[in-house]
Formats: sequence, C-alpha cells, structure tokens
Amino acid sequence: MSIIEIKDLKKIYNDSEVAVHALNGVNLTFQQGEFAAIVGPSGSGKTTLLNLVGGLDEPSEGTIQIDGLNIGELSSRKLINFRLKNIGFVFQSFNLIPVLTAYENVEFIMNLQGYSREKRDARTMELLEAVGLEDRVNSRPSKLSGGQQQRVAVARALASKPKFILADEPTANLDSQSTSNLLDIMEKLNREENITFIFSTHDQRVVNKARRVIQVEDGKVISDEVIQSP
Amino acid sequence: MIWIIAWKNIWRNKVRSLVVILAITFGLFGGVFSSAIMKGMVEQRIKEAVSRETGHIQIHDPKYIDDNEIQYVIDGEAGQLEDELDSLPQVKAWSSRIKFQAMANSANAGTGVMIFGIDPEKEQQVTEISTMICDSCGTYLDGNKKNQIVVGKALAKKLKVRLRSKIVLTFQDKEGNLTGAAFRICGIYRTSNSMFDEMNVFVRKVDIAKLLITNPQKYQELVISLISPVLVTAVQDELTGSFPELLVRNWKEIDPMLGMMSDLTVVWLYMFMTIILLALGFGIINTMLMTILERTRELGMLAAIGMNKRRIFLMIMLESVYLSLTGAAIGMALGYILTLYTSHTGINLSSFAEGFEKIGYNPIMYPYLDLNFFIILTVMVICIGILASIYPARKALKLNPAEAVRTE
Repeated sequence: MSIIEIKDLKKIYNDSEVAVHALNGVNLTFQQGEFAAIVGPSGSGKTTLLNLVGGLDEPSEGTIQIDGLNIGELSSRKLINFRLKNIGFVFQSFNLIPVLTAYENVEFIMNLQGYSREKRDARTMELLEAVGLEDRVNSRPSKLSGGQQQRVAVARALASKPKFILADEPTANLDSQSTSNLLDIMEKLNREENITFIFSTHDQRVVNKARRVIQVEDGKVISDEVIQSP
Repeated sequence: MIWIIAWKNIWRNKVRSLVVILAITFGLFGGVFSSAIMKGMVEQRIKEAVSRETGHIQIHDPKYIDDNEIQYVIDGEAGQLEDELDSLPQVKAWSSRIKFQAMANSANAGTGVMIFGIDPEKEQQVTEISTMICDSCGTYLDGNKKNQIVVGKALAKKLKVRLRSKIVLTFQDKEGNLTGAAFRICGIYRTSNSMFDEMNVFVRKVDIAKLLITNPQKYQELVISLISPVLVTAVQDELTGSFPELLVRNWKEIDPMLGMMSDLTVVWLYMFMTIILLALGFGIINTMLMTILERTRELGMLAAIGMNKRRIFLMIMLESVYLSLTGAAIGMALGYILTLYTSHTGINLSSFAEGFEKIGYNPIMYPYLDLNFFIILTVMVICIGILASIYPARKALKLNPAEAVRTE
C-alpha cells in the first residue's frame, strides 16, 4: 500500500518580480519501506518537494495524500500535530537542540507527544543503541562529531514512530567515514524495521545505497528508477 | 521539559544574559530600597502623628468640628461612653480633653495656640508627648501642681521663653467673657513636627475647667488608642453604632492629609516600580529579539518536527520570565536586606533636620516595606516578563519552518 501519493504538484514562488516555478506538475507514489533518493542539480526542486511532502510548505496546486489524508486540507494547527506524529525529519545541519544532551534531544519529541517517562526512557535508549551512541547519551551536541550529531538526529526522527523519514541532504556536512556509518545505520533500520526513508541529495554515496532514485530537474520528475525491490 | 530547556537557553549566551540580569538586579534593588525609604518615611510620619497628635480614633460633638466652640461638649457625667470604652478589649487607653483655641503671650511675644486640657495620667497612655521632653527640658504635667503648662520647643522659641518662664493664656469662658491666667512652663517637648510644636500646649483639665467655668467632666474631645491599628474600622463602627449622636472619626478622617498620604504612597510606589519595570522590559525585549534572531534555524527545526505554536510561545515567554525573575529575585533580596538593616539602624539625615521637621518628618528615617509589596512586585515582574516576550515570540511564530531550518 502506498503511504504517500503526490498528484500534479506545483509550487510557484511569487516573492520576486518573476514567478519561480519550483515544482511543475510532480506525480509520485511512495510505498511503505522504501529507501528512496531524490536527486538533481541545485534549484531543481528537490528540497521544495521534500518541504511540501513534509507539510512545511503549502503547494500552489495539486495534492499530497499521506495514508489517504490530503495534508493540504489540514489547518495549520492540525498540520503541526500531523508532522509530530507522522513525519520524521533529518536536516542537513543536524539541527539538534544545543542545550540538551543526545539523550534529551531524542527524548524531547516523545515528550512533545506526551509519552510517559518509562516509555520515553526505554525508547530513547533503544534508539541511541540502534545508532551506536549508547556511550554518548549524556554528551551535548557540541561534544559530538558531525556524524554523531546526525546519528542523534536520525534517532530523534525515529523517536516519534513516524510513517516515514524525510532527510534533506543528510550527508552534506559529513566526511566519508561518517557518511558511510550513517548510511549503514539508516539502511539497517530500513531493512530490519521497514522504516521508509526519502532523501534529497547530491551525494553519490547516498544514491548508491538507494533502492529507488528519482531524478528531478526544473521542477519535474525526469526519471524514476527502482534499483532493487524493497 | 520546556521549562528546563527555557532555563538552559538563557545561559547559552552567559554574558548577554548576565548583563540583562544585572540591569534588572540593580533596577529592582534601587526601586525596592527607594520605595522602602518612601514608605518608611510615610509610615513613620503616620505612626508619630497617631501616637502624638491624633490617636487612632477621636470622638466629638459633631457641631464642635464645624464651629470649634467650647459649648459643644461630650457629657462625660453619664459615663456611658467611658464605660463602653473600658469594656472594649481592643481599646488600649483613652483620654478626654478640653480643647479650644487661645492666645499665648509672654513678656516678649504672643501667638495663637490650641490648648489641650488633659488628665496627665490618662493622656500619657494615649499620646507620647510626655516622652518627647528631654532630660534638661523639664517634666510632664504633675497631677497636683496648679497652672503648669507643657509647650513645644518651637513655641518656646517664638515666645522667647524658657523652662519655668510664665506665659499668659487668654481666652473666652463659657459665657463668652474674656478670661485668662498665667501658667508656668514645667516642660518643653519636641516632636519631629515643628508646626505641631508651635501650635499645641498642654495643661491640666481641672485648671482650665475652672477658668472656663465649666465641668471637667464635660469635654470637647475624647481620643482613643487601640491595641492595633488594624482594629480602627471595627471599633469606629461599633462606637458609631452605640453613640449615633456623636461623631466618631478615625485618624485618616481627622487628618485627611495624612490619610491621603498613606493611600497615595501605595499608588505612587507601584507607579514608580511600574516605570522601572517598563524600562527594564525594553531591555528584555531587545535581548529576546537577539535570541530569536540567533536561533532562527533551531526555532524552524522545532516547528518542523511538530512543536506547536503554544509551546514555542511558552518556551520564549519562560525564557523572558526567567531572565526577569532571576534579576528581580536578586535585586529584591538585596533591597530587602538593606531595608532590614537600615530599618534597625535608621538613616540619619540630621543635617537636614530643620527642613524635615518643618514638614513634619523625622530626620532619622527607618525604611520599611511589607510582605505584600514584595508579593505584588513579584507578580509585576512576571507580568513584565510575559509582556516583554510577546513581540519576540510573535516574530518567532511567524517564521516559516522550511526557510528557517536552512538559515545559516
């Protein structure tokens, strides 16, 4: 069953004198358990696409249905709550809360969801073990390497038990070793726990790991290739 | 958890937060101590006026207040009023007074005065004038010696008289005939109110009743001292109910200036603190705006992952309140400590004594603030913290998470 259905998606920015067509009629479907990479040159529309799927921005035209729900029809308040419960985010710049430890960063999102202390404790440790950071639970982001910070970000994204994870250039600020470690962890989570990952990336190493590669250019999908069945 | 994050957030930029906290600390310290001085001065003035001049409650024939004529008396012969006062546990003491205006003349000068014909023993329990006579300034009225008088230092100076000098009091008796007698000064008192000292003289009621050809049991004024000032209204109401033909007034009604000063000081202190807090509030707004600007990406991330607007607002508001409260708590504590210390030692401004006494104030000030002031001030600080967070929080809430997360 498809968890995301994108139909005739258009995004036009009218901020400048000339209207910019960031997305120009995108149609895509994602199934549960996909490990997909959206690739394309800068300005091609991949981040815009990710933002729209993540409910961070509103489409100019078209619809995005997540589990059958058209998120364009949700009020701002409902959309925030929808993101909290259904979508995990991993950002290029890690974006952890600097005053919290790795443990607290992961725990935070469950706190927002109203989980009990026992549930939070159990899941936080489980996730930090899954990303190989069980020995750094009390470290603040400033004491962690870029790769470690991004692993905390992945753990945080998984904490809310989302339907899928959107990762915007997750390896852009990482060295080769950290990139390799991170991708291994995400691939493992995808294979073993059937978690859906959708990346936007320039990074060939990410593309090489992806089992579906969607090429975007000038706001359009120019190719959609399944490398290997999920 | 938001409460903890907000607390940790204010220490992200320690120097900036400390500067704001210090500004609030000094602002509140100065505000609290200045308020304590003002409040202390007024409370002291009221306390002194009540204990030396007005008492807590006074009773008169209502016509006496309008005309100040000696025929308007309270008839103490029946003894009902006195019996009632003796039976009230709230009443510490009471004293009846024959009170009227007269001329006081010495060999050198003359002036108008208010004569208080009193029972020295009873009066001493109600007013503190007897304690205002220094060791070398004589004694209070002796119950047995005739035609003695206690005058204020300012009056003695005006009449150019000394201890044991004679002064002549001239006034109209009950029939309207001019009468008078010579009185020997047995004591010279000095309060912190030179106007009072210049106007009021004390003689024995029996001496003055004879001259007025009146009964000492019939008097113009009855002054009451209570065991606690908070009982004033209750006792006043009770006496008014029992003696509707008499005018029962509390110290605020007797001396409206004093009453107004008491009420106005409270209003003024809160206005004063509000101005200080508003000024500090702009400093907090500035700091919070800088904070929001620096944390655009983080706030975008929080909105993106599902932190709703109410929580984001709460976090920013808490940061603002924490900043305000931390500085305010230290400032208020320092202000309280200094107030407590100086309330025991006093602040001696004797070099300005003459000026202070002319307006009725004691040159030794004892700062004072009650607990209510600190409670209300704390609430005001929290309100300012919340108000100061509204504009920065609105800015944060207007951020577009998609753009904010990519901010460099």
